[in-house]
Amino acid sequence: MGARVLIAEDEPNIVESLSFVLEREGFSVHAVFDGEAALRELRASAPDLMILDLMLPKMNGFEVLKAAKSDPELSSVPVIVLTAKGQAQDRRMVDEIGAEGFMTKPFSNREIVERVRELAGR
Amino acid sequence: MRSPLIGATLRQRRRALGIAQAALAAQLGISASYLNLIESDKRNIAGALLKRVADALGFTLDEIDGAAERRLVADLGELCGEPLLADLGLEEAGAQALAGRQRDWGRALVRLHRAWLDRGQAVSALSDRLHQDPFLGDAVHSLLTQVTAIRSSAEILQTGEGLDPARRERFVAIVDEQSARLAEVARSLAAFFDKDAAGTRSVTPADEVDDFIVDLDNHFPPLEQAAAAFRADAAIDGDCSEAGLVDYLRREHGVEVVLRPVQELDPAGVRHLVSFDASASTLVIAEEAVPATRRFELVRLACELHGQGRAVQDLLAEAPQLTTDEARERARRALSSYLAAAVLLPYDAFLAAARELRYDVDRLVQRFGASFEQVCHRLVTLRRPGASGIPFALMRVDAAGFTSKRFPLPRLALPRHGPACPMWAVYQALHVPGTVVRQLVEFPDGQRLLFIARTVEKSRPAFLLPRRLQSIMLACDALHADQTVYATGLDLSSSGPAVPVGPSCRLCVRRDCVYRAEEPIVGR
Repeated sequence: MGARVLIAEDEPNIVESLSFVLEREGFSVHAVFDGEAALRELRASAPDLMILDLMLPKMNGFEVLKAAKSDPELSSVPVIVLTAKGQAQDRRMVDEIGAEGFMTKPFSNREIVERVRELAGR
Repeated sequence: MRSPLIGATLRQRRRALGIAQAALAAQLGISASYLNLIESDKRNIAGALLKRVADALGFTLDEIDGAAERRLVADLGELCGEPLLADLGLEEAGAQALAGRQRDWGRALVRLHRAWLDRGQAVSALSDRLHQDPFLGDAVHSLLTQVTAIRSSAEILQTGEGLDPARRERFVAIVDEQSARLAEVARSLAAFFDKDAAGTRSVTPADEVDDFIVDLDNHFPPLEQAAAAFRADAAIDGDCSEAGLVDYLRREHGVEVVLRPVQELDPAGVRHLVSFDASASTLVIAEEAVPATRRFELVRLACELHGQGRAVQDLLAEAPQLTTDEARERARRALSSYLAAAVLLPYDAFLAAARELRYDVDRLVQRFGASFEQVCHRLVTLRRPGASGIPFALMRVDAAGFTSKRFPLPRLALPRHGPACPMWAVYQALHVPGTVVRQLVEFPDGQRLLFIARTVEKSRPAFLLPRRLQSIMLACDALHADQTVYATGLDLSSSGPAVPVGPSCRLCVRRDCVYRAEEPIVGR
């Protein structure tokens, strides 16, 4: 059983291709499509890593990240943040809250797989 | 260099004063024919004789020796390079003749040209605001998302690794579907730009200063260092007392500080509460100035004299954003205020207190003996990497809605020209002078911010004149709100209640808002 990755992203086609490449690399992937579900799933399944889009419905990625990083039980889960707009501003905000990885769209599959491998420790 | 056409100027003035050539010649002790040669520009005039002529005709030497005229010629020369007038083939020589013979007409042309340029800049600045349109932000986000999905699927198809035929078909379908959506976004973007073809970027001096300060994140380490150096050299005690500052200025710089009624400094009594006469080494402060203002102005002057303004000058010298003298002067003033605040509210002590008191502005006012506005202003500058406070925006408006101070945040554009949304706390605070108004607001794109506003009263020149209220607002992302005392009792979750606001009516997509005062110029 490979490391477990939680993807929180509201664009189904991105979720589908990301899931495919990560599963191909031996990771076990679970996906959610909004911020509230991301936090719920994070608490319920304690994955080895979370890929988190910033523009999520219901609860945005910043809020999810902040909640995760201020919860002692969740703060050790590495988070790779995905962003698509206002990159420099998002970066500053994410740095203030604290995330392990930061990728701007459009990224390549190879880049994200490498980053996941590095942070999930496999 | 010989001054251009002094003779013509002299003749024109003499005639305007109704003095005969012979009479003036007699007064000057020269012959009428010699004066005639001078007035015809056939003889040079300089030195003592020039001074006597100037006195006789009521000119200053600057006017008469051509300095004023040379400036006018240079200003008129700008019209030669004006694209709008290119077909007229204006030449510099003509500008010289006009400046010499028809000075007032020349001045009128220059004044109109300047006003015309200013209007153009204001229009461009307004069109700049269009570019903060939420539609554009959404479109770019959507575009990048489609491209990401296409790129990811294309890479999978390219390597072919681990793909069965059904999967292959699925990823081809994703590329197809996302490409169609991408084309849709691109078309709507093209339509947007067709509609809002904007001019080139051009800004006013105030805008240039804004850009300069925002580019540097409103944090200036050289000024923080200069403030620390000043405190050390001046051996200022912890709380920087007014008496200590007065004593320092007298001891180190021979400056006397006197208090006078405001009317003696500025008859209108509206703008200036201090006046420094360098030649008399005297700083006059209006009696009406409150203690926090007095202290601030004492420190401002002490810092300027202490380092000969070097820290500020060095920053200005490296500011490509500032292209005009007016912009540089505004920036100089802003930086000298920054320096004074850094002395009175030292970075580390102030940051520690802000955190301890949970950014309670009133309590910071009490602790540091500063004004409400000074504390708000200083909070915005706590941006030292590795030791920063909450990122705040700041805005100051008067009762007419005029924005006289603005420090935006990357996620909160503040209006440069015209009002923002009437729902913002900065305007609401004017209804309840002296009371802190806090608001959790939500913008149309879902972004949430905490607004904190309160009015401050500027001293009024006389009992019978109206009060002068200004409203100051701090704003921070709702994510940081829990670090402040102002979030107490608020539900900060994204589903909690928040006041629906927009950037301004013109840029707001909330079509059903009952507070709407103008139709939007952007939309979907």
